[in-house]
Amino acid sequence: MAVTVHIPSLLRGYCEGARTLSVEAPSVRAALAEIARMHPALYRNICDETDAVRRHLGVFVNTTHIRDLDGLETALASGDAVTILPAVSGG
Amino acid sequence: MAERVIVCIGTRKGLFVAEGGKGRRRFALRGPFGEGVAVYSALIDTRGTPKLYASACNPFFGMKVLRSKDLGHKFQETKSAPEFPKDDGRALANIWALEPGSQKKELFAGTEPAALFRSEDGGDSWIMVEGISNHPHARTWQPGAGGLCMHTILREDERVHLGISTGGHYLSEDGGVTFAPSNEGVGAGFTPDPYPEYGQCVHKIAGHPDAPGRLYMQNHGGWSEWDGPGGRRPDIGVLRSDDCGKTWRSIAKGLPSDFGFPIVVHPHDADTVYVLPLAPMTRTCPDGAPAVWRSENGGDSWRRLAKGLPKKESFFTVQRDAMDIDALKSPALYFGTTTGQLWIGHEGGEEWECAFDALPPIHCVKVAVV
Repeated sequence: MAVTVHIPSLLRGYCEGARTLSVEAPSVRAALAEIARMHPALYRNICDETDAVRRHLGVFVNTTHIRDLDGLETALASGDAVTILPAVSGG
Repeated sequence: MAERVIVCIGTRKGLFVAEGGKGRRRFALRGPFGEGVAVYSALIDTRGTPKLYASACNPFFGMKVLRSKDLGHKFQETKSAPEFPKDDGRALANIWALEPGSQKKELFAGTEPAALFRSEDGGDSWIMVEGISNHPHARTWQPGAGGLCMHTILREDERVHLGISTGGHYLSEDGGVTFAPSNEGVGAGFTPDPYPEYGQCVHKIAGHPDAPGRLYMQNHGGWSEWDGPGGRRPDIGVLRSDDCGKTWRSIAKGLPSDFGFPIVVHPHDADTVYVLPLAPMTRTCPDGAPAVWRSENGGDSWRRLAKGLPKKESFFTVQRDAMDIDALKSPALYFGTTTGQLWIGHEGGEEWECAFDALPPIHCVKVAVV
């Protein structure tokens, strides 16, 4: 079940410039684990050492934030788009 | 090459590097590096070819350690930043201190949540120092307003002093393997017990290589009016120890306030120490008139140094790592403000001028002559 992970421009330096990554994963948690395996430094930018998604990042499946789905356990279907985006925050 | 003065200025929006000559009247500014990201700690490592380090507290993507090998013209991330072990449960929030170790590429990082990390390869990899990071007290320390941070790492051969807010002063006498609280005489105003074993809100600790065993501390003062349990506790804010930090005594008499954040020792005279008193309620300059205060007798008396500084309407804060002093024959003091000004105090603070007046809010200032 291949899904496409969209990488924000600020993080592309941690995955050799790739705009997207194709991973085989049945859930968001599994997709992140696959990113950790393929690009450990990229993963560390997305999740902290407790494996929690960093507080000011949003993870979307297609157009829905995973907090409105099943969080990291959100199931993925073939062809889904997983998008990682910095939240609107700061000052 | 002629000696140059390098000033690392960590701000809320990245790191700036100022470079000037020995006259210290004109500085060229580079940066921001790690742009848009708060920098709470910097280090100018003058062992061998100088290297600059800075922590970058990226709220989106986590902590980075930046390193420059060309005096701050370019910075690159080290291969990794400190991380708590997988099963620890804590997650790194910030780096508050970067200090060199005794070995060539050894570095130490003090973090938030309060823990100590060591690198043997110039910051490319880090291991947590168990003796303090998993000390039995560690899970009982409480965050101060700035967070639960280890902000001071001070080494005297086999002795290692740590300052933790709020954990107090911890001392190792075995090179940093084991640590014990060492706070006799260090007061706390926010607990009924005025002198607890640990848990004080230490703001900064400083020492001098010519006076081993002597330490100066800026503690969280401002409790002279307290009339609740435990009674008044005046003058607990500025302290001195002459026995390697085992006991402490007040040297705050003569200061307009015993509240402040930084404390700095003259590079050529262990008796000369500087503080920047702040009003305890607002943590800003008393009466809007900033001044550095200097003691030339180890804290027995103090003199106000304010020539060139604003005389009114200045209500900034100078944070714990935002004051430093260079090591030239006639040293200059430097402090950065939360309103983005970098001030230089020539002749040991006798005459002040503003080098930069519109930087982002400043968290830390580190200076070295290279």
